[in-house]
Amino acid sequence: MTPSTVRTNLKTALSTITGMRVFDYVPDSTNIPTNNAFAIVGQLNMNYDFTLNRGFDSATCQIIVVVGRMSEKDGQSRLDGLLASSGSTSIKTAIEADKTLSGAVQTLRVVSASPGTITSANIDYLSYQYSVELIG
Amino acid sequence: MAIFMGNKVSVVVGTTTITDHVSTVSLAREIDQVEITAMNDTVQNMIGGIERPTLNLELYNDFASASVNSLFEDALGTKLNIKLVPVSGTVSSTNPSYTMSCLISSWTPVNGAVDAVASVSVSLPVTALTKSTSA
Repeated sequence: MTPSTVRTNLKTALSTITGMRVFDYVPDSTNIPTNNAFAIVGQLNMNYDFTLNRGFDSATCQIIVVVGRMSEKDGQSRLDGLLASSGSTSIKTAIEADKTLSGAVQTLRVVSASPGTITSANIDYLSYQYSVELIG
Repeated sequence: MAIFMGNKVSVVVGTTTITDHVSTVSLAREIDQVEITAMNDTVQNMIGGIERPTLNLELYNDFASASVNSLFEDALGTKLNIKLVPVSGTVSSTNPSYTMSCLISSWTPVNGAVDAVASVSVSLPVTALTKSTSA
């Protein structure tokens, strides 16, 4: 498993959702247009030696999805669509569409999504933190 | 040789190396204990009987051609040659190989769970076993 390839391919998968902008860092400006969202693909939490003789490793990747200010109704609706387990705006569906990430891993699974907030420029934004398990 | 980690065991089934689909492997060599306690013994007396080795594998299943599932499921009810080397690499007096014939007495092609990779746990009776320090 090559972390940089995994993260790049996760970003590519997330980019298939219309209106989703994907970063691998928290952008300085969080000016999020209505009905848009951005995702931040975090670093991998590696667990080595999933199989013998350096065969495969396992890893967990945290993905933070931010949609808008806490006070925005549109932001909450947007999150509902991203949180759905299926559909064209589903984060889980977008990531699991190719469980090998174009051959970067053996398999993956979007395990969970937890609500929260992310603060930027003293503004609280609605967010969800996704946990993705990868083996490869 | 010194103390070593057990995470580099080489597992070869026939001519196919499946090491990267194995999470746990153990070869247990056990000898039957045959009792020969007689009337004049004050403590039980035993002699060694026949050896009954067992190979235990925890595998991640893979239906790809010539991968784990086809190797084992196609051999169900027959025997497979399996070779283990404690540390993948050159076989030597300090890194001996164990070559064995195993009866594929059971196989679980489907073992699903919502939160786990498809895996198979097998315990195979070994019907012939050779330890080598050179190959």
